[in-house]
Amino acid sequence: MSEIPAIALTVLIIVLAAAYGRRFGIGRELSIVGARSLIQILILASVIIILFNLPLYWSFLVLLVMAAIAGHTTYSRSGKLENSLPLAAASIAAASLLLLIPFFLAGIFPLEPRYVIPTGSILIGNAMNVSSLAIDRYRGEIKNKRGEVEAYLALGAHPGLAIAACLKQGILSALIPSIDNMRNLGLVWIPGVMTGMLLGGADPVEAASIQIAIFASIFAAGMIASNLLLYYSTDSFFTKAAQLREDLD
Amino acid sequence: MEQAHIELKNVSKSVLRKVNNVKVRTQILSSLDLKVQQGELITIMGASGSGKSTLLRLINRLSEIDSGIILLNGRDIRDHNPMELRKKIGMVFQLPVVFRGSVRENIAFGMKLWKNDIDLDALADDAAIPKNLLDADAGQLSIGEKQRVCIARALANQPEVLLLDEPTSSLDYKAAGKIEMLLLDLRTKKNLTVLWVTHEREQAERIGGRRLILMEGRLEEGHV
Repeated sequence: MSEIPAIALTVLIIVLAAAYGRRFGIGRELSIVGARSLIQILILASVIIILFNLPLYWSFLVLLVMAAIAGHTTYSRSGKLENSLPLAAASIAAASLLLLIPFFLAGIFPLEPRYVIPTGSILIGNAMNVSSLAIDRYRGEIKNKRGEVEAYLALGAHPGLAIAACLKQGILSALIPSIDNMRNLGLVWIPGVMTGMLLGGADPVEAASIQIAIFASIFAAGMIASNLLLYYSTDSFFTKAAQLREDLD
Repeated sequence: MEQAHIELKNVSKSVLRKVNNVKVRTQILSSLDLKVQQGELITIMGASGSGKSTLLRLINRLSEIDSGIILLNGRDIRDHNPMELRKKIGMVFQLPVVFRGSVRENIAFGMKLWKNDIDLDALADDAAIPKNLLDADAGQLSIGEKQRVCIARALANQPEVLLLDEPTSSLDYKAAGKIEMLLLDLRTKKNLTVLWVTHEREQAERIGGRRLILMEGRLEEGHV
Protein backbone atom coordinates (compact mmCIF):
# COMPACT_ATOMS: atom_id res chain seq x y z
CA MET A 1 0.00 0.00 0.00
CA SER A 2 2.31 2.73 -1.22
CA GLU A 3 -0.40 5.02 -2.67
CA ILE A 4 -1.09 7.00 0.52
CA PRO A 5 2.54 8.11 1.07
CA ALA A 6 2.91 8.80 -2.69
CA ILE A 7 -0.16 11.10 -2.74
CA ALA A 8 0.96 12.76 0.51
CA LEU A 9 4.41 13.38 -0.99
CA THR A 10 2.79 14.87 -4.15
CA VAL A 11 0.60 17.25 -2.11
CA LEU A 12 3.59 18.31 0.00
CA ILE A 13 5.71 19.00 -3.10
CA ILE A 14 2.89 20.95 -4.80
CA VAL A 15 2.38 23.09 -1.68
CA LEU A 16 6.10 23.79 -1.33
CA ALA A 17 6.52 24.48 -5.07
CA ALA A 18 3.51 26.85 -5.03
CA ALA A 19 4.87 28.66 -1.96
CA TYR A 20 8.24 29.09 -3.65
CA GLY A 21 6.52 29.98 -6.96
CA ARG A 22 4.92 33.04 -5.32
CA ARG A 23 8.27 34.79 -5.70
CA PHE A 24 7.82 34.60 -9.46
CA GLY A 25 4.11 35.34 -9.45
CA ILE A 26 3.18 31.74 -10.37
CA GLY A 27 2.17 30.49 -6.92
CA ARG A 28 -1.52 30.45 -7.73
CA GLU A 29 -1.01 28.85 -11.13
CA LEU A 30 1.23 26.14 -9.67
CA SER A 31 -1.33 25.31 -6.97
CA ILE A 32 -4.14 25.04 -9.54
CA VAL A 33 -2.11 23.03 -12.07
CA GLY A 34 -0.75 20.76 -9.33
CA ALA A 35 -4.16 20.11 -7.77
CA ARG A 36 -5.72 19.62 -11.18
CA SER A 37 -3.10 17.11 -12.31
CA LEU A 38 -3.48 15.13 -9.08
CA ILE A 39 -7.27 14.96 -9.43
CA GLN A 40 -7.06 14.11 -13.15
CA ILE A 41 -4.63 11.25 -12.58
CA LEU A 42 -6.73 9.83 -9.73
CA ILE A 43 -9.83 9.98 -11.92
CA LEU A 44 -7.85 8.27 -14.68
CA ALA A 45 -6.82 5.50 -12.28
CA SER A 46 -10.47 4.98 -11.30
CA VAL A 47 -11.54 4.92 -14.97
CA ILE A 48 -8.80 2.41 -15.76
CA ILE A 49 -10.02 0.14 -12.96
CA ILE A 50 -13.48 0.20 -14.55
CA LEU A 51 -12.09 -0.24 -18.09
CA PHE A 52 -10.00 -3.24 -17.10
CA ASN A 53 -13.24 -5.05 -16.42
CA LEU A 54 -15.06 -3.91 -19.57
CA PRO A 55 -14.87 -5.40 -23.10
CA LEU A 56 -11.83 -4.36 -25.17
CA TYR A 57 -13.70 -2.01 -27.54
CA TRP A 58 -14.21 0.34 -24.59
CA SER A 59 -10.45 0.81 -24.43
CA PHE A 60 -10.37 1.87 -28.07
CA LEU A 61 -13.27 4.25 -27.46
CA VAL A 62 -11.30 5.85 -24.63
CA LEU A 63 -8.26 6.18 -26.89
CA LEU A 64 -10.45 7.89 -29.52
CA VAL A 65 -11.68 10.37 -26.90
CA MET A 66 -8.07 10.99 -25.89
CA ALA A 67 -7.15 11.59 -29.56
CA ALA A 68 -10.07 14.05 -29.89
CA ILE A 69 -8.89 16.00 -26.83
CA ALA A 70 -5.32 15.90 -28.16
CA GLY A 71 -6.63 17.15 -31.52
CA HIS A 72 -8.30 20.09 -29.78
CA THR A 73 -5.05 21.03 -28.06
CA THR A 74 -3.18 20.95 -31.37
CA TYR A 75 -6.00 22.89 -33.03
CA SER A 76 -5.63 25.67 -30.44
CA ARG A 77 -1.89 25.75 -31.16
CA SER A 78 -2.61 26.16 -34.88
CA GLY A 79 -4.25 29.53 -34.22
CA LYS A 80 -7.65 27.83 -34.72
CA LEU A 81 -6.91 27.31 -38.37
CA GLU A 82 -9.91 26.44 -40.52
CA ASN A 83 -10.61 22.67 -40.69
CA SER A 84 -7.66 21.85 -38.47
CA LEU A 85 -9.72 20.49 -35.54
CA PRO A 86 -10.95 17.33 -37.33
CA LEU A 87 -7.65 17.12 -39.22
CA ALA A 88 -5.56 17.22 -36.05
CA ALA A 89 -7.74 14.66 -34.24
CA ALA A 90 -7.77 12.33 -37.26
CA SER A 91 -4.00 12.63 -37.87
CA ILE A 92 -3.15 11.91 -34.23
CA ALA A 93 -5.65 9.03 -34.01
CA ALA A 94 -4.54 7.44 -37.31
CA ALA A 95 -0.80 7.67 -36.60
CA SER A 96 -1.15 6.40 -33.02
CA LEU A 97 -3.39 3.49 -33.96
CA LEU A 98 -1.08 2.52 -36.81
CA LEU A 99 1.90 2.33 -34.47
CA LEU A 100 -0.10 0.65 -31.70
CA ILE A 101 -1.08 -2.40 -33.77
CA PRO A 102 2.43 -3.95 -34.15
CA PHE A 103 2.84 -4.24 -30.36
CA PHE A 104 -0.06 -6.67 -30.26
CA LEU A 105 0.57 -8.36 -33.62
CA ALA A 106 4.16 -9.12 -32.61
CA GLY A 107 3.01 -10.42 -29.25
CA ILE A 108 5.00 -7.84 -27.26
CA PHE A 109 1.90 -7.16 -25.17
CA PRO A 110 -1.28 -9.24 -24.73
CA LEU A 111 -4.33 -7.60 -26.33
CA GLU A 112 -5.88 -6.46 -23.06
CA PRO A 113 -7.07 -3.07 -21.76
CA ARG A 114 -4.18 -3.06 -19.24
CA TYR A 115 -1.73 -2.78 -22.17
CA VAL A 116 -3.84 -1.09 -24.89
CA ILE A 117 -4.70 2.04 -22.91
CA PRO A 118 -1.29 3.03 -21.53
CA THR A 119 0.58 2.24 -24.77
CA GLY A 120 -2.04 4.05 -26.87
CA SER A 121 -2.02 7.08 -24.59
CA ILE A 122 1.78 7.39 -24.77
CA LEU A 123 1.59 7.40 -28.57
CA ILE A 124 -1.31 9.89 -28.63
CA GLY A 125 0.35 12.25 -26.14
CA ASN A 126 3.59 12.35 -28.07
CA ALA A 127 1.90 12.61 -31.46
CA MET A 128 0.00 15.59 -30.02
CA ASN A 129 3.19 17.28 -28.80
CA VAL A 130 4.95 16.88 -32.14
CA SER A 131 1.86 17.95 -34.11
CA SER A 132 1.36 21.06 -31.95
CA LEU A 133 4.98 22.11 -32.38
CA ALA A 134 4.84 21.36 -36.10
CA ILE A 135 1.66 23.34 -36.86
CA ASP A 136 2.80 26.27 -34.73
CA ARG A 137 6.14 26.40 -36.56
CA TYR A 138 4.48 25.84 -39.96
CA ARG A 139 2.20 28.81 -39.45
CA GLY A 140 5.14 30.92 -38.21
CA GLU A 141 7.28 29.97 -41.21
CA ILE A 142 4.50 30.86 -43.65
CA LYS A 143 3.96 34.22 -41.92
CA ASN A 144 7.68 35.03 -41.89
CA LYS A 145 8.26 33.85 -45.44
CA ARG A 146 5.22 35.50 -47.01
CA GLY A 147 7.49 37.20 -49.57
CA GLU A 148 9.05 33.93 -50.66
CA VAL A 149 5.73 32.09 -50.76
CA GLU A 150 4.19 34.83 -52.91
CA ALA A 151 7.25 34.85 -55.20
CA TYR A 152 6.50 31.18 -55.92
CA LEU A 153 2.79 31.85 -56.40
CA ALA A 154 3.53 34.77 -58.74
CA LEU A 155 5.37 32.36 -61.03
CA GLY A 156 2.33 30.10 -61.21
CA ALA A 157 3.39 27.55 -58.60
CA HIS A 158 0.54 25.79 -56.81
CA PRO A 159 0.25 26.39 -53.04
CA GLY A 160 1.74 23.02 -52.07
CA LEU A 161 4.93 23.81 -53.94
CA ALA A 162 5.00 27.41 -52.71
CA ILE A 163 5.08 26.34 -49.06
CA ALA A 164 7.01 23.08 -49.36
CA ALA A 165 10.05 24.60 -47.61
CA CYS A 166 7.86 25.88 -44.73
CA LEU A 167 6.29 22.43 -44.31
CA LYS A 168 9.70 20.75 -44.20
CA GLN A 169 10.96 23.26 -41.64
CA GLY A 170 7.81 22.83 -39.52
CA ILE A 171 8.28 19.07 -39.30
CA LEU A 172 12.05 19.21 -38.75
CA SER A 173 11.70 21.73 -35.92
CA ALA A 174 8.97 19.69 -34.26
CA LEU A 175 11.08 16.55 -34.33
CA ILE A 176 14.17 18.13 -32.75
CA PRO A 177 13.11 17.35 -29.12
CA SER A 178 12.33 13.72 -30.07
CA ILE A 179 15.67 13.33 -31.87
CA ASP A 180 17.52 14.85 -28.90
CA ASN A 181 15.65 12.54 -26.53
CA MET A 182 16.58 9.54 -28.62
CA ARG A 183 20.21 10.66 -28.81
CA ASN A 184 20.45 10.89 -25.03
CA LEU A 185 18.36 7.82 -24.27
CA GLY A 186 19.97 5.96 -21.41
CA LEU A 187 22.77 8.53 -21.06
CA VAL A 188 20.99 11.47 -19.45
CA TRP A 189 17.73 9.89 -18.43
CA ILE A 190 15.91 6.58 -18.04
CA PRO A 191 12.60 6.91 -19.86
CA GLY A 192 9.19 6.41 -18.28
CA VAL A 193 8.23 2.93 -19.45
CA MET A 194 11.60 1.45 -18.52
CA THR A 195 11.53 3.21 -15.15
CA GLY A 196 8.04 1.85 -14.48
CA MET A 197 9.01 -1.68 -15.47
CA LEU A 198 12.19 -1.58 -13.37
CA LEU A 199 10.25 -0.28 -10.39
CA GLY A 200 7.76 -3.09 -11.00
CA GLY A 201 10.60 -5.64 -10.81
CA ALA A 202 11.04 -6.47 -14.54
CA ASP A 203 14.24 -7.75 -16.06
CA PRO A 204 16.37 -4.74 -17.23
CA VAL A 205 16.99 -6.19 -20.72
CA GLU A 206 13.27 -6.83 -21.24
CA ALA A 207 12.47 -3.35 -19.94
CA ALA A 208 15.09 -1.80 -22.25
CA SER A 209 13.85 -3.76 -25.31
CA ILE A 210 10.26 -2.71 -24.78
CA GLN A 211 11.33 0.86 -24.09
CA ILE A 212 13.24 1.16 -27.35
CA ALA A 213 10.29 -0.30 -29.30
CA ILE A 214 8.01 2.27 -27.67
CA PHE A 215 10.51 5.03 -28.32
CA ALA A 216 10.78 4.22 -32.01
CA SER A 217 6.98 4.05 -32.25
CA ILE A 218 6.58 7.39 -30.48
CA PHE A 219 8.97 8.98 -32.97
CA ALA A 220 7.23 7.41 -35.96
CA ALA A 221 3.74 8.32 -34.68
CA GLY A 222 4.82 11.94 -34.18
CA MET A 223 6.35 12.11 -37.61
CA ILE A 224 3.35 10.55 -39.36
CA ALA A 225 0.78 12.62 -37.42
CA SER A 226 2.59 15.91 -38.06
CA ASN A 227 3.13 15.08 -41.73
CA LEU A 228 -0.55 14.24 -42.21
CA LEU A 229 -1.68 17.35 -40.35
CA LEU A 230 0.62 19.77 -42.14
CA TYR A 231 0.06 18.27 -45.57
CA TYR A 232 -3.73 18.36 -45.30
CA SER A 233 -3.90 21.75 -43.57
CA THR A 234 -1.95 23.48 -46.37
CA ASP A 235 -5.17 24.45 -48.18
CA SER A 236 -6.38 26.27 -45.06
CA PHE A 237 -3.62 28.86 -45.48
CA PHE A 238 -4.88 29.75 -48.96
CA THR A 239 -8.05 30.96 -50.59
CA LYS A 240 -9.71 28.99 -53.38
CA ALA A 241 -7.89 31.23 -55.88
CA ALA A 242 -4.49 30.12 -54.50
CA GLN A 243 -3.93 33.39 -52.63
CA LEU A 244 -2.11 33.35 -49.31
CA ARG A 245 -4.71 34.41 -46.73
CA GLU A 246 -4.34 37.95 -45.43
CA ASP A 247 -5.58 37.16 -41.91
CA LEU A 248 -2.69 34.92 -40.83
CA ASP A 249 -1.02 37.59 -38.67
CA MET B 1 -12.53 49.79 -81.03
CA GLU B 2 -9.47 47.68 -80.26
CA GLN B 3 -9.83 45.36 -77.27
CA ALA B 4 -7.70 46.37 -74.31
CA HIS B 5 -5.05 43.92 -73.15
CA ILE B 6 -5.92 44.60 -69.52
CA GLU B 7 -8.99 46.42 -68.33
CA LEU B 8 -10.05 47.30 -64.80
CA LYS B 9 -13.66 48.41 -64.37
CA ASN B 10 -14.99 49.93 -61.19
CA VAL B 11 -12.45 48.08 -59.04
CA SER B 12 -12.53 48.58 -55.28
CA LYS B 13 -10.34 47.06 -52.61
CA SER B 14 -9.90 47.48 -48.88
CA VAL B 15 -7.10 45.97 -46.81
CA LEU B 16 -6.50 45.29 -43.12
CA ARG B 17 -3.93 47.64 -41.63
CA LYS B 18 -2.58 47.77 -38.11
CA VAL B 19 -3.18 51.12 -36.44
CA ASN B 20 -1.98 51.29 -32.80
CA ASN B 21 -1.99 47.48 -32.71
CA VAL B 22 -5.63 47.35 -33.79
CA LYS B 23 -6.50 45.97 -37.19
CA VAL B 24 -8.53 48.45 -39.20
CA ARG B 25 -10.04 47.87 -42.63
CA THR B 26 -8.94 50.67 -44.92
CA GLN B 27 -10.38 51.41 -48.35
CA ILE B 28 -7.45 51.90 -50.72
CA LEU B 29 -8.93 51.56 -54.21
CA SER B 30 -12.39 52.95 -54.98
CA SER B 31 -14.19 52.45 -58.28
CA LEU B 32 -10.90 52.46 -60.16
CA ASP B 33 -10.89 52.24 -63.98
CA LEU B 34 -7.92 51.53 -66.23
CA LYS B 35 -7.39 50.39 -69.82
CA VAL B 36 -4.01 49.12 -70.94
CA GLN B 37 -3.33 48.32 -74.59
CA GLN B 38 -1.14 45.48 -75.85
CA GLY B 39 2.55 46.44 -75.62
CA GLU B 40 1.82 49.64 -73.68
CA LEU B 41 4.12 50.91 -70.92
CA ILE B 42 2.42 52.52 -67.94
CA THR B 43 4.10 54.06 -64.94
CA ILE B 44 2.07 54.34 -61.77
CA MET B 45 3.10 56.81 -59.11
CA GLY B 46 1.54 57.61 -55.78
CA ALA B 47 2.27 58.29 -52.16
CA SER B 48 3.43 55.51 -49.86
CA GLY B 49 0.44 53.37 -48.83
CA SER B 50 -1.74 54.69 -51.65
CA GLY B 51 -2.32 51.15 -52.96
CA LYS B 52 0.15 50.93 -55.88
CA SER B 53 1.40 47.46 -54.94
CA THR B 54 -2.11 46.27 -54.13
CA LEU B 55 -3.24 47.38 -57.59
CA LEU B 56 -0.58 45.16 -59.21
CA ARG B 57 -1.41 42.25 -56.90
CA LEU B 58 -5.04 42.40 -57.99
CA ILE B 59 -4.08 42.04 -61.65
CA ASN B 60 -2.24 38.72 -61.15
CA ARG B 61 -4.70 37.69 -58.43
CA LEU B 62 -2.26 37.50 -55.55
CA SER B 63 -5.05 39.48 -53.86
CA GLU B 64 -8.76 39.53 -54.58
CA ILE B 65 -10.86 42.53 -55.58
CA ASP B 66 -13.79 43.43 -53.33
CA SER B 67 -15.92 44.56 -56.27
CA GLY B 68 -15.65 45.41 -59.95
CA ILE B 69 -14.02 43.35 -62.67
CA ILE B 70 -10.57 42.88 -64.20
CA LEU B 71 -10.30 41.60 -67.77
CA LEU B 72 -7.33 40.08 -69.54
CA ASN B 73 -7.85 40.01 -73.31
CA GLY B 74 -11.54 40.67 -72.66
CA ARG B 75 -11.98 37.74 -70.26
CA ASP B 76 -12.60 38.07 -66.53
CA ILE B 77 -9.40 37.03 -64.69
CA ARG B 78 -11.59 35.01 -62.29
CA ASP B 79 -12.43 32.75 -65.24
CA HIS B 80 -8.74 31.91 -65.69
CA ASN B 81 -7.00 29.23 -63.68
CA PRO B 82 -5.06 31.40 -61.15
CA MET B 83 -1.80 29.54 -61.79
CA GLU B 84 -2.08 29.94 -65.56
CA LEU B 85 -3.05 33.58 -65.15
CA ARG B 86 0.15 34.18 -63.15
CA LYS B 87 2.19 32.52 -65.86
CA LYS B 88 0.77 35.04 -68.35
CA ILE B 89 1.18 37.99 -65.97
CA GLY B 90 4.71 37.99 -64.56
CA MET B 91 5.64 40.06 -61.53
CA VAL B 92 8.89 41.47 -60.17
CA PHE B 93 8.79 42.52 -56.52
CA GLN B 94 10.42 45.38 -54.69
CA LEU B 95 12.66 43.06 -52.66
CA PRO B 96 14.19 40.32 -54.78
CA VAL B 97 13.53 36.83 -53.38
CA VAL B 98 15.73 34.09 -54.78
CA PHE B 99 14.97 30.44 -54.13
CA ARG B 100 17.40 27.99 -52.62
CA GLY B 101 19.81 26.69 -55.25
CA SER B 102 21.91 28.01 -58.08
CA VAL B 103 21.15 30.95 -60.37
CA ARG B 104 20.49 28.45 -63.15
CA GLU B 105 17.98 26.53 -61.01
CA ASN B 106 16.23 29.77 -60.14
CA ILE B 107 15.87 30.85 -63.75
CA ALA B 108 14.82 27.36 -64.81
CA PHE B 109 12.04 27.24 -62.17
CA GLY B 110 9.22 28.30 -64.49
CA MET B 111 10.66 26.26 -67.31
CA LYS B 112 10.37 23.08 -65.24
CA LEU B 113 7.01 24.07 -63.83
CA TRP B 114 5.44 24.77 -67.19
CA LYS B 115 7.63 22.46 -69.27
CA ASN B 116 8.63 25.39 -71.48
CA ASP B 117 11.47 24.89 -73.86
CA ILE B 118 13.50 28.07 -73.70
CA ASP B 119 17.14 28.93 -74.18
CA LEU B 120 18.26 29.53 -70.62
CA ASP B 121 21.67 30.91 -71.59
CA ALA B 122 20.11 33.40 -73.97
CA LEU B 123 17.64 34.47 -71.28
CA ALA B 124 20.43 34.96 -68.74
CA ASP B 125 22.27 36.96 -71.37
CA ASP B 126 19.14 39.11 -71.95
CA ALA B 127 18.99 39.78 -68.21
CA ALA B 128 22.70 40.70 -68.20
CA ILE B 129 23.62 37.78 -65.94
CA PRO B 130 27.23 36.75 -66.67
CA LYS B 131 27.74 33.10 -67.64
CA ASN B 132 30.14 32.52 -64.76
CA LEU B 133 27.35 33.35 -62.29
CA LEU B 134 24.93 30.72 -63.59
CA ASP B 135 26.19 27.99 -61.30
CA ALA B 136 26.73 30.25 -58.30
CA ASP B 137 24.55 29.98 -55.18
CA ALA B 138 21.74 32.50 -55.76
CA GLY B 139 21.62 33.36 -52.06
CA GLN B 140 25.16 34.76 -52.18
CA LEU B 141 24.51 37.36 -54.90
CA SER B 142 24.28 41.13 -54.43
CA ILE B 143 20.77 42.64 -54.35
CA GLY B 144 21.20 43.98 -57.88
CA GLU B 145 22.24 40.54 -59.17
CA LYS B 146 19.37 38.91 -57.31
CA GLN B 147 16.95 41.31 -58.97
CA ARG B 148 18.33 40.35 -62.39
CA VAL B 149 17.76 36.70 -61.50
CA CYS B 150 14.17 37.50 -60.49
CA ILE B 151 13.60 39.33 -63.78
CA ALA B 152 15.04 36.43 -65.79
CA ARG B 153 12.98 33.97 -63.73
CA ALA B 154 9.79 35.91 -64.44
CA LEU B 155 10.61 36.13 -68.14
CA ALA B 156 11.29 32.38 -68.36
CA ASN B 157 7.50 31.95 -68.07
CA GLN B 158 7.17 33.89 -71.34
CA PRO B 159 4.58 36.28 -69.92
CA GLU B 160 2.42 38.70 -71.93
CA VAL B 161 2.37 41.25 -69.14
CA LEU B 162 5.04 42.28 -66.66
CA LEU B 163 4.09 43.91 -63.37
CA LEU B 164 7.00 45.78 -61.81
CA ASP B 165 6.57 46.73 -58.17
CA GLU B 166 9.32 49.31 -57.56
CA PRO B 167 11.93 46.87 -58.89
CA THR B 168 14.85 49.25 -58.35
CA SER B 169 13.95 50.79 -55.00
CA SER B 170 16.23 48.48 -53.00
CA LEU B 171 19.21 49.13 -55.30
CA ASP B 172 21.86 51.83 -55.34
CA TYR B 173 21.68 54.51 -58.02
CA LYS B 174 24.09 52.82 -60.42
CA ALA B 175 22.53 49.34 -60.15
CA ALA B 176 19.05 50.87 -60.40
CA GLY B 177 19.99 52.61 -63.66
CA LYS B 178 21.25 49.34 -65.14
CA ILE B 179 18.09 47.42 -64.19
CA GLU B 180 15.96 50.24 -65.58
CA MET B 181 17.74 50.09 -68.93
CA LEU B 182 17.52 46.32 -68.93
CA LEU B 183 13.77 46.29 -68.32
CA LEU B 184 13.07 48.90 -70.99
CA ASP B 185 15.20 46.98 -73.44
CA LEU B 186 13.47 43.67 -72.64
CA ARG B 187 10.05 45.25 -72.93
CA THR B 188 10.77 46.37 -76.50
CA LYS B 189 12.45 43.10 -77.42
CA LYS B 190 9.64 40.91 -76.13
CA ASN B 191 6.74 43.29 -76.88
CA LEU B 192 5.57 43.14 -73.27
CA THR B 193 2.74 45.11 -71.74
CA VAL B 194 4.32 46.70 -68.66
CA LEU B 195 2.83 48.29 -65.56
CA TRP B 196 5.67 49.89 -63.60
CA VAL B 197 5.08 51.17 -60.10
CA THR B 198 7.57 53.75 -58.91
CA HIS B 199 7.66 56.41 -56.23
CA GLU B 200 10.41 58.41 -57.94
CA ARG B 201 9.29 61.21 -60.19
CA GLU B 202 12.70 61.27 -61.95
CA GLN B 203 12.46 57.58 -62.71
CA ALA B 204 8.97 57.98 -64.15
CA GLU B 205 10.37 60.72 -66.38
CA ARG B 206 13.21 58.50 -67.56
CA ILE B 207 10.99 55.49 -68.18
CA GLY B 208 8.47 57.38 -70.28
CA GLY B 209 5.21 55.70 -71.35
CA ARG B 210 1.79 56.74 -70.02
CA ARG B 211 2.07 58.24 -66.55
CA LEU B 212 -0.67 57.71 -63.99
CA ILE B 213 -0.94 58.83 -60.41
CA LEU B 214 -2.87 56.87 -57.79
CA MET B 215 -4.71 59.34 -55.58
CA GLU B 216 -7.55 58.68 -53.16
CA GLY B 217 -8.13 55.24 -54.61
CA ARG B 218 -8.30 56.27 -58.25
CA LEU B 219 -5.90 56.69 -61.15
CA GLU B 220 -5.41 60.08 -62.73
CA GLU B 221 -3.34 61.13 -65.70
CA GLY B 222 -0.05 62.36 -64.28
CA HIS B 223 1.73 65.50 -65.31
CA VAL B 224 5.29 64.94 -64.32
